[in-house]
Amino acid sequence: MKKLMFLMFALVMGFSASAQTLPDVKIENQEGKLISVREIVDGTPMIISFWSTTCKPCIMELNAINNNLPDWLEEVDMKVVAVSVDDARTVSRARAMTQGQGWDDYTCLYDKNQDFKRAMNVSLTPHTFIVDGQGNIVYSHSGYTPGSEEELFEKIKELK
Amino acid sequence: MGVALCATFCVNEASAQIKAGEGQVSIALESNSSYYMKDEVLADIDLYKDEDRKRGNFGSNDFLKVDYTLGKFSAGVQVDAYLPALYGYDLYDYQSRKSNMTGFLTKYVQWEDQNWGVRVGDIFDQFGNGLIFRAYEDRNLAFNNSLAGARAHYNFNNMVSVKVLAGLPRVYDVRTKNVVWGGDLSLSISDMAGWNDGYASIEGSYVGRYLNDISSIEFRGIDSKILNLVSGRANFEYSGFTFRGEYAAKLNNDIFAMNDEAGKGNAVYLDLGYNYKRFSVSANFRRMRGMTTRAALLDGAAFASGGNLLNYVPTLVRQHTYSLAGLNPYMGAVTGDEIGGQIDVYYSLRNPKVRNKYWNFHANFSMFNTLDHKFGGGRIDGNVDDFAKREGRNIWLDFNVDVERQWNKTWKTTFFYSYQRQDVDKYDMEHGHYADAHIFVVDATYKINKKHSMRFEAQYLAADNYQGDWVAATIEYNFAPKFSFYVSDMWNCEKMNDPENAMYDNLYFHNSTQEESHELLHYYQVGASFTHNSFRAQLSYGRNREGIVCSGGVCRKQPAYTGFNLAITLSF
Repeated sequence: MKKLMFLMFALVMGFSASAQTLPDVKIENQEGKLISVREIVDGTPMIISFWSTTCKPCIMELNAINNNLPDWLEEVDMKVVAVSVDDARTVSRARAMTQGQGWDDYTCLYDKNQDFKRAMNVSLTPHTFIVDGQGNIVYSHSGYTPGSEEELFEKIKELK
Repeated sequence: MGVALCATFCVNEASAQIKAGEGQVSIALESNSSYYMKDEVLADIDLYKDEDRKRGNFGSNDFLKVDYTLGKFSAGVQVDAYLPALYGYDLYDYQSRKSNMTGFLTKYVQWEDQNWGVRVGDIFDQFGNGLIFRAYEDRNLAFNNSLAGARAHYNFNNMVSVKVLAGLPRVYDVRTKNVVWGGDLSLSISDMAGWNDGYASIEGSYVGRYLNDISSIEFRGIDSKILNLVSGRANFEYSGFTFRGEYAAKLNNDIFAMNDEAGKGNAVYLDLGYNYKRFSVSANFRRMRGMTTRAALLDGAAFASGGNLLNYVPTLVRQHTYSLAGLNPYMGAVTGDEIGGQIDVYYSLRNPKVRNKYWNFHANFSMFNTLDHKFGGGRIDGNVDDFAKREGRNIWLDFNVDVERQWNKTWKTTFFYSYQRQDVDKYDMEHGHYADAHIFVVDATYKINKKHSMRFEAQYLAADNYQGDWVAATIEYNFAPKFSFYVSDMWNCEKMNDPENAMYDNLYFHNSTQEESHELLHYYQVGASFTHNSFRAQLSYGRNREGIVCSGGVCRKQPAYTGFNLAITLSF
């Protein structure tokens, strides 16, 4: 039994060490057109942040990343993908918000049916992933505390 | 043993090098547990009784999800375990005749190709805005109405997409015997016409429900075992303008609540948007009659429970994040028949080159009225054949603004104001009783250095004709990226045994037995959270107010309690 438990533990730890790739699911872009998530993989490392209009820490995190982005871009090539998990009720508010918050540099996607959220195993937002240029998920972090965006930048820099 | 360990790690070391297309497993765990303590103060004022704690002093809602993906193939299982369910989740009321501990297993296999896909097992999907069909999961509500069945979809050159599905809906942890089937067709006009500057599409859906459980109870006015629902939609987007419209109809007689008259239904939903640079407006309008559709016609209280739904007709009003602004949220007309809308305006005033200095403005207005309706006689005078007529009237109004200012790298402040007007007698009374509230919030974040920061929040609610004024305050200290601590308190400054207040359906006063000494009943909380990569744990202790908890426009009633909470999420 002990051996079995240990094996299972090792297996679980093993999985955490392996790189996952972005799932192939459909998602709406800013215009409301369905695109494949794989289309955002273009060789540039990215931060993918899951947010919603009712999640205050998510908005704080995206604002903090936005404040730092010009400085970060001077050091590395990267992009930010903001994935709203708002459903039909609030998705139009989410679209208005991305425009009215100055998130001009973000790629904004809308996961109305939460297929992407489910496939990425996101339970709580904010949940942020670092994905390399080939679509491999190299790091993930849930929750936001002011300053934790620095860690995301460190991880992006490690990809160089 | 060492060999086994190496084998696992070595394999995974190797798999990290392998590109997309190789099999991978992902695991996610979410667990919410509470330990309920005895609180004499709450017991004294009847906010809880020992007999309300039928399941003992511990509750835990847990979800474990495991998925396997190999290229275009994926499969997965999810276990929902209520060990037993936390208090305040409808699940338990429905399950009270069964065992305390309850669980449910969902599973699926799926093949997702470039232009087509098939899924067998539990299906989450929606057509349009969800007015006729939405199968989804919301763990904050213990809600899951996934369909157990099959789904197939096909897309032709982005011009035409077709989707068909059929299955048995879930109500909490029971799979109903009613068959639900449907189809959705979407035509992209812009792709057909080769128009690339904008986007235009028309869509249509159909959903049917066959009642296998109709014989179990008496239902007035339902003349067919089959219920047909249809929806038509048009979407248009060009150069910052957006229009989305949906018309949905219920073509057969159906009932929404046990005592209501059976009838058909329809809904109109309009969504308009405009944006230019950093200015944007979004407005929604919805008129809806008889559209709430049940997954099953169950016996007793379970019929009207929040988990027994086939479609998605939530309230459209802004769901506030500040506690006092969400103290008495709008829960929708009790009959489900309402007309109203809301508008949001956003503007960001900034120099795009200076990121650490900006103003963000947001204003929101919402208003909802009930439609003329007949009430089941059982509610009014005990005679079920008598329907009392009520004229439509305003039941909700909210005007709110937030002004967010980033002063520099260290300071950020938010000022929030909301005026809310709610008819607290929205149910059976002939005339409304309006409660007005003005809510003021000041929220400030101070970044001490790259890792340390503090947040302060002060809130005040000034009330007219209802439960009195409230005060709330929070202090938070963060050590990024791992730790966060907070302390908060919230209290009602009004004399609590005021008989004038007690006559209304007041969430705060159950009766007027409160003692003078409890005039200032504090709802305090202390908590800490720890985050490491995708592992997060939050532990808190405090007294929780009886109130309404909303998620995605759907609300549930949360009983008052004092105790510990532990929330854990983890994913690989």
